[in-house]
This record gives sequence, structure tokens and C-alpha cells, in this order.
Amino acid sequence: MTWADTLLLLPELIAATGASILLIVPVLGGRARGHMAKWAMLALMAVTALAVIGSTYAVAGVQQTPTFRAMFAVDAFSVFFKLLFVVVIALVTLLSEDFLSEERYSTWEYYSLLAFALCGMMFMASGVSLITIYIGLELLALSSYILAGYYKNHEESTEAAMKYFILGTVSSAILLYGISLIYGVCGSMRLSTIAAALSTMLSNDALMFGIMLLAAGLCFKIAAVPFHVWTPDVYVGAPTPISAFLSTGSKAAAFAVFARVFYVAFPAFHLDWSNVLAAIAALSMIVGNLAAITQTNVKRMLAYSSISHAGYSLLGIIAMNEMGLRGILIYTMVYVFANLGIWATILMLRRHAYAGESVEDFRGLHKRAPFAAFSMVVFLLSLGGIPPTAGFIGKYFLFAAAVQAGFGWLAIVAVVMSAVSMFYYLRLVVAMYLEEGSGAETIYSPSLRFVTALSLTVTLVVGFIPELPIRQVIESSSHLVGRVVQR
Amino acid sequence: MPGIPTNYFLILSAILFTIGVCGVLTRRNGITIFMSIELMVNAVNLTFVAYARQFHSLHGLIFVFFVMAIAAAEAAVGLAIFIALYHHRDTIDVDEANLMHW
Amino acid sequence: MGFYDSGFPILSVITYLPLAGALLMLFINKENTGAIKTFATIVAAVDFVLSVPLWFYFDRKAAGLAMFQFRETASWIPSLGVKYSFGIDGIALLLILLTTMMGLIAVYSSYTAIDHRQKEYYILLLLLQTGMIGVFCALDFFLFYVFWEVMLVPMYFLIGIWGGQRRLYAAIKFFLYTLAGSVVMLLSILALYFFNSSGIPFLNIKGLGNAPSFDVLQFHQIGHLISPQLQFWIFLGFFLGFAIKVPMFPFHTWLPDAHVEAPTAGSVILAAVLLKMGTYGFVRFALPILPDGTRQLMIPIVTLSIIGIIYGALVSLVQKDMKKLVAYSSVSHLGFVMLGMFALNPMGLRGSVLQMINHGISTGALFLLVGIVYEQRHTRLISEYGGLAKQMPMYATLFLIAALSSMGLPALNGFIGEFTILLGVANANIWWAVFAAVGIVLGAAYLLWLYQRVFWGPLDNPANKVLKDVNKRELLTLLPLVACMIWIGIAPAPFFEMIEQPVDYIVQKVDPGYFKRQPVTYPSEAAERAAAVSSALAAIQAEVHR
Repeated sequence: MTWADTLLLLPELIAATGASILLIVPVLGGRARGHMAKWAMLALMAVTALAVIGSTYAVAGVQQTPTFRAMFAVDAFSVFFKLLFVVVIALVTLLSEDFLSEERYSTWEYYSLLAFALCGMMFMASGVSLITIYIGLELLALSSYILAGYYKNHEESTEAAMKYFILGTVSSAILLYGISLIYGVCGSMRLSTIAAALSTMLSNDALMFGIMLLAAGLCFKIAAVPFHVWTPDVYVGAPTPISAFLSTGSKAAAFAVFARVFYVAFPAFHLDWSNVLAAIAALSMIVGNLAAITQTNVKRMLAYSSISHAGYSLLGIIAMNEMGLRGILIYTMVYVFANLGIWATILMLRRHAYAGESVEDFRGLHKRAPFAAFSMVVFLLSLGGIPPTAGFIGKYFLFAAAVQAGFGWLAIVAVVMSAVSMFYYLRLVVAMYLEEGSGAETIYSPSLRFVTALSLTVTLVVGFIPELPIRQVIESSSHLVGRVVQR
Repeated sequence: MPGIPTNYFLILSAILFTIGVCGVLTRRNGITIFMSIELMVNAVNLTFVAYARQFHSLHGLIFVFFVMAIAAAEAAVGLAIFIALYHHRDTIDVDEANLMHW
Repeated sequence: MGFYDSGFPILSVITYLPLAGALLMLFINKENTGAIKTFATIVAAVDFVLSVPLWFYFDRKAAGLAMFQFRETASWIPSLGVKYSFGIDGIALLLILLTTMMGLIAVYSSYTAIDHRQKEYYILLLLLQTGMIGVFCALDFFLFYVFWEVMLVPMYFLIGIWGGQRRLYAAIKFFLYTLAGSVVMLLSILALYFFNSSGIPFLNIKGLGNAPSFDVLQFHQIGHLISPQLQFWIFLGFFLGFAIKVPMFPFHTWLPDAHVEAPTAGSVILAAVLLKMGTYGFVRFALPILPDGTRQLMIPIVTLSIIGIIYGALVSLVQKDMKKLVAYSSVSHLGFVMLGMFALNPMGLRGSVLQMINHGISTGALFLLVGIVYEQRHTRLISEYGGLAKQMPMYATLFLIAALSSMGLPALNGFIGEFTILLGVANANIWWAVFAAVGIVLGAAYLLWLYQRVFWGPLDNPANKVLKDVNKRELLTLLPLVACMIWIGIAPAPFFEMIEQPVDYIVQKVDPGYFKRQPVTYPSEAAERAAAVSSALAAIQAEVHR
């Protein structure tokens, strides 16, 4: 380890140090100043973002800089995701403000856990060895378990944490077993070494079993069917800002890992695993969308919607081509912002001091909060993939990747299901614009307004002028695509 | 390679892992479920150690230490969640956890 | 007006003017409904006025690719090969003129019909207009798809907020049906895109390896290189997207709901323009790009069209609701359009294109007329009316003209369209023409019967005795339509001249040997047969004009 190595690790170091400081502050007598925590957290995010951007200058001109015995790498791919994570955590911080002040839970520990989660996510994005990836994933998971149960006086929240914890630890044990088998077959846990070993190898059961177990563990994190059972309960039970975090940040991190591991390590056996993942993707899209139709609780509906979106994103991994990898990056970004915007709107609704969760709470929103209602429509259209919103660009890439890779049937399932998804997205539009009557009252704080406005801007800008983000995505993914076996 | 062949360890660890999975699926007490999960994790540790011995490589061994540390952290978080749940309803039977449909 | 021939982006101006107007309207206080109405009308009127000179500056003689005029090309998403590419041929030009005219009429006719949330209403109408014009202008598939979908959203709101009793159901049904069709179409577009640009094989087919592009005109050039089997599947995707929009039997079930529930202006736009987007899609994309696919699916589509013609007419006969009757008559009329198109000869296509315009004018007028009595009585049940001819003579006259135009009476526009279609169809297969003629007879039956029940007989319902005849504003919305009916009916030559080159171009694409086999003037035998059919139907109509 040299100083240069440390420099590349700077964003993670800052996040970890910052998280530790946030944890200590209340012990040092800062508990009373709870309102300061938000600003401390935002400052930490700003510094981390600067460090991430700074690390790109450190590696300018170099495709990838593996450090720490090739366990950790800074490259354009990781930088893309890290910046996305920092923005997500910053926005979740803004979303959490009202919840924390109303519920009178300790703010410092809450933000500290979020910062630890960020640290884990950044390790996931940068990990080029299964060891690093696993540790990052666990750091994220452990923080998430606690955050999901942060409403500890509410039984639902605790129950959600328990379910999330049990299923989460089981899934990481499965993932770990997969890693151990891959290690056994390839003799290494470095992704590039695995790829090199596999390229000279014939398909064998232990390896396929290992890949499948690894995929199963990751599918749990992205909430793909049949590893999705935790999602609706956890999204409903967890504090709403944390549901927002789980459906955006944590998922994006899992996709970063999914994409890197499969694109770098397993292209050689693409034919073997792609059909299994295709079945998972198809099931996720079908089950997620059909189950969402019957939901009346918006958080639950979003949970099923997020299951279906995991299915769409999987298209990008199954396709295993340039288009697919770009699709994952751009779709993740697009999905994250549309979702954060929707969660912000949910958070501003209040019914008897609780967040508005049922579809009825949205009734007549266009009168009470025209801007929020309008943005909500844009976000929902984006999730449904209707142009000219960003969601269309994202889906365009994924569908195109599937068609190009010869997965025509999967593309048909995907487009049909994305039409079906509009059915339940429109339910919210109906409630907001077409039904009169009084829904929940609204408390639209400046923070929520900011999150909505930012998400709206991204959703519309990517929709109308997609060239810039597309070029960025091409830059961020090209060095991984180079390894893709062109069939 | 002298001594016990690697395959024996792998089979043992597969059996342990399966026992763990069965425990998770059949037990209803939160703590027992968590113990089963620990069994799964340790079965995996056995695999790592076995492979590390076969390859004469340190990677697997080091990973086992990480896994153990993480398992300890998991235990801390998990037990805290179970205690919080016990405060609410005086039981940690997961079948009672039905406020939201599973 | 140097604008129109100097490379000035006139099409973009016409397309985005309503959008700009809609954005400006956000700043008008929503209580100030007078200003909102006036402003929306001015925007729509300016848009119409701007679009009229296109008619005069358009070079009708330009053939081949040069017939796409007023071209605008700019880079939009270069990394995907997406260009911002606008341009129109004669067919698109007529449809744009129809759109701007109907848009103005729709805005102007809504003054009293819409009494709540007026600001949103006019904003959405203008947004819809941008989407519709964009669809007709776009020569880049990506751009086309964006406009195609964009237009769904305002229409959804128009039906959902200002519609009738079952508006939510109708709005969602409209949205989902159309969306389901268009997402499948997206896959077809992608297949074309990869065929053109992919250097590596996809779906086990070797691509051409051209630069990535969504250029429709480029696809026109390479379409015939696609293997017939792939053409079949790509065509099927387009077919789903467009046939749902048209709507062809059996994809028509959203239409009656949407029409009945939509506010009058919504129905007018829906009938006059939105349905044409489906048929336009066929003539612009599906036919010229996929000649083999077209021929493989010709018989099923013709069969569905004939079923649609007769089914639509029969269902219209038994309707109790006036608006529903007109809605089902659209199914029948659009069946004609599709039938003429899939005769795949110049005559049939000409009639088909002209009939698109005709249907827009006649059915638009009928919806406006139904809206006028509905606004006063709040019912559209035919049994509620009777003897209106005495109470509202002006209204009765206008209704008669619109109905006669819709049923294809000579000297009015419907006759020209249907007659040309029959000529073309008879040229392809005489039996198709016979079936279609049955549809015309039924069309006369349901419209005349409707007229009889509503306007003749005793004026015995007291509620009808207070009905007021059309007022000046309503008359202003209807007169241009009546004028167009008579114009096309008496002097259709300029219209045929406008679409001659595009139609020949499409026939050349879809059936490259056509003009070699047949001289451009039609074989006398076919013409005689067609004349025989038309004389038969004219006799049935008892209105012989020779």
C-alpha cells in the first residue's frame, strides 16, 4: 500500500471517517443539536463527492487502477456509480429531515448509518475482487437492517427489520457459498483472474452452481422474483425515507455489482447462465407488475413496481452486449431519480400524522399541490417508459439490447409488461387529477421541494436531451464492454 | 495431496449448509433461525478453508476471517432486532410476525 | 412569404407553436376564463393560418425522395443515430392541414361545453395538437415514436377529466390499448434499426452494417433487402401498433368507449386526426418499408377490413346512442380506408388517402353536431329526440349534409373517396368490392334511419321544444367543414394531384413491378367492372349522378 493507493481510496475513507464522527458526536454532547446533523451529513456528502471527482483526476488517462493487490479499482464505471450513490444519499438525507424531527429519533446515529451504507456501496462499485464486493455488500446490508428498524417504537418497522434481516443474512450466506465454489473452481476471487481462468475451461457443475448461487444472492439484493418476498413488507414497514433508500441506492449498488461481476468475470459462460437469468427477469416483470395492480398501499405498489424494474434492468445483464451495459447504467440512474421524486411526494402527504400511504391520500392532489402532482405524473410516466421522459431512454437501451442479443421473446414480455405497468401508475394519476375529494393533507417542506425539483429536472433533461448522459454512460462503461465476448 | 482429500471437506460443508437451510425453513424461533444461518455461513467457511488448503493460498483463509468478523457484526445487529421485537410482543416467533402479510 | 421556400423551419414552427402557447397559458390566471379561451383560439388560429400556405408552396410534381419537402434535419442523439428530421409529402400535408383546422375547430367549439378546469383543458388541447402534427412531420423513427406516445397523455386527460360517466374506464382503456400496440411497434422499429446498422448478427440475421440511423427514408431504401420471414414479424409489430390506433376489427373495442365518454372536442380530434395516425402509419412506414410483409399479410388484413366495414355498419344500425352510432360508423369507414390501402394499387391508395381526410371532415362534423344537442339536453339517446327538423331547421340541414357526406352521396366528399376506393379494390378483386358495396348500403341505412328518427316525425318530447338552433359560434365551427365537404365533392382534382406522387411512390415500393405490368391509365376492363359496381350502388342510393 502506497500513498497513491490511499489517495484512490479517499472517498471511502472520508465516508467511513465521517460516519464514525457522526456516530461519536452525540456521545460528545451533540445530541441536543439534532438539527445540525442534517447539515453535517450534507457537508460530508459534498466532501465525498469532491473526493470522488478528485479521484478521477488521479487516474485520468488510465482505464482502471487496481490497487490493494487488485482488490479495489477506481475506474469510470465506479466513479459513475459512486457519484450516483452520493447524490442518492444526499437526497435521502433531505427526505429524512421531516421524518426525524417528527418522530424524535436520534438524528446523528441515523445519518451515521446512512454514511456507513454509502461507504459499503462505494466499495461495491469499486470492488474488483469478490472479497471486497462481499464486504461492501455486508456493510450496506447491516446498515440497512438497522435503518429499516429505525422506527423502533413501531411494531411494523421492527417486524420489517426482522424479516429483512433473516432473509438478507440467508441470501448473503447463499451468495457466500457461491463465491466459495467459484473460488474453488478458479483459484482466485479476482474478477479478471476468474475471467482468465474460465476462458480456458469447459462448463462444469460446480462452477455453474457457484454462478447460480452468486446470482441468487444478488437477485435478493435487487429484489428479483423469486427472491423478492421481503420487498413489499420491508418497504411498507420501514421508515419511508429508508424505503426510498432501499428502492434506489441499495438497488443501484447491487446492480453495479451485478453488472461488473457478470460482465467482467462470466462472459465466457454467457450461454449457460443467460437463460436462467432470462427466466428470473421474465418472472420479475410479470409477477411484479401483476401484483402491483392489486395494491392499494402506495408503498407496497412501489415495492412491486421496483421488483418489476429489477426485471427490466436484468435485461441489460442477460443481453451481455454494449447496449445492455449502457442500458443498466442509464436505467439505474433514470429509475433512481424517478423513484426518489415519487417517495418525496409520498413523504409530503400526511394523514393523522402518518405518511400518506394509500392511493386515496393522493385524491385531488393537483389542487392542493399542483407542482407535486405534475412532477408525480412525470415520474410515473418515466417509470412507465413513456417518452419524452427519461424512463423511455432507459427502457429503449434495455429493450434494444435484448433484441440485439436475440432475446426477442424476453423483449416482448418486457414491452407488454411495461404497458401493463401503466395501468397501476395511472391509478395514482387518476387519484391526483381525475378524482375529486379530499386526500391527505400536505406538508411540503423546502427539502422535499428540492428533491422533487431535482428529480424532475433530471427526468426531463435526460428525456429531452439524452445525448449528454448517453455519452457519459458510454464513457463510463466502455472499458468493461471491451471484455464482452462478441458473439 | 497428503491427508484427507478436499472433496470430503466439501461434502461435509455441503451437508452442513443444507442442514442450515433446513433449519431456516423449518424453525420458527428467531434465535434458532439465526443459529441455522450461522451454520450456513460456517459451512461456507469450511469450503474456503478446504480450498485454501488445496491451493496453498492465503486468500481463502483471509476471507474466512472477514466472514467471521462480519458474522459477529450480523449477530450483534440481529440480536438487537430480536430484542426490539421482543419488547413489542413478548415473543420472537417469526410466525407471529404477521402485521403485514409475508 | 419567403418563409416557405427559404429553408425556414416552418414545420417546426407549426408543430411547436401550440406547445409554446400552452406554456404561455400557464401564466394566465385560471379564473380569467375569457382570456384563456381567446388566447387558445388565437394560438390555434395562427397555427392554422401558418399551415395553409404549405398547400400553395408544396411542389406537387416532385417525385421520389424529393417529394418530401420542407425538410429540416438536425442532430438530436448522435450516439444512437437519432436525428431531428422533419419533412412532409402530399399525404402528410393534407393530414397536417386537417389537424390544424380540426384543432382550431376543437378549441372554438369548446367554449360552452367545458365549464370546469378550463385552463387545463385548453393547455391539454394545445399539447395534443403539437403531438399530432409532430407525428405527421417526423421522418425519423425515434422522433416519430416520441410524438406518437406523447400525444397519448393529453388525450388520456381530456377523456379522463372532461368525459362522461364512465370516463375513467374509457380513458384507461384508450391509454392501455394504444400503449400496448405502440410498445410492440417499438420492437419492430428496433429490429429495423439493427438490421440497418448492426454489423454483428442479431436474431441470427446478418445486418447491413450501415451507420446507426432511424431515418425513415433510409429504411424505405433498404426495406426490401430484409428477408420475407423477418419482414413478416416486423410487419406484425407495426400492424399491432397501427391497427389498434385505426382501429381495425377486432382491436376496435376501445373506440366506442373513448368516443362516447370523451368531450365533444375530444371526440372530434379523436375521430378526425388520431385514427388517421394509424392509417398514416401504414402508408408511411409499414407498406413502403416492408413490401413482402405487406403482401404476406394482405389477405388477413383485407378480410379484417371487410369484416370491420360490415360489422361496424351492422352495429351502428342497432345503436341507441347517437355518439356511439357515429363511433361505430368510424369502424366501418376506417375499414374502407384499410381496404383501399391494401388493394395495393394507385387507385385504391388514392381513395384510401382521400377517404382519411373525408372521414375526418364528415365524422368530425357529426360529432360536433351531436355535441350541440347534447350540450342542451344532456342526453344522446335517439329515442329522446324526434321532430327536431321543425325545432332546429338550420341544425337539421347541417346534419343532413354531414350525414349524406358520411354515407357517400355523390357531389359530396364521401362519394369521391368511396368510389375511388371501390375502383381500386375492384381492380384487385371484384368480390372485395362487392362486400364493400354492401357496407355502403348499410351505411346509408343507419345514417338515414338515424336522421329519420331524430329529425322527422312529431315533436312530441316537451324537452325538445325549448331546444335552440345552432348559434353563430357553432355555425362558424361547422361551415368550414361543410365547405370542405362540397369542395372535395365537386372538385377533388387538387387533392388527387397532391397525393398522386406519394401514392405512386408507395405502390412502386410495395409492388415494384406494378407500373411495368400496368400502364398508368387503368385497363378498361377493370374500369368497366368498377363502374358497374358503382352504378349498382348509386342505384341503391336512388341518387343517380352520372
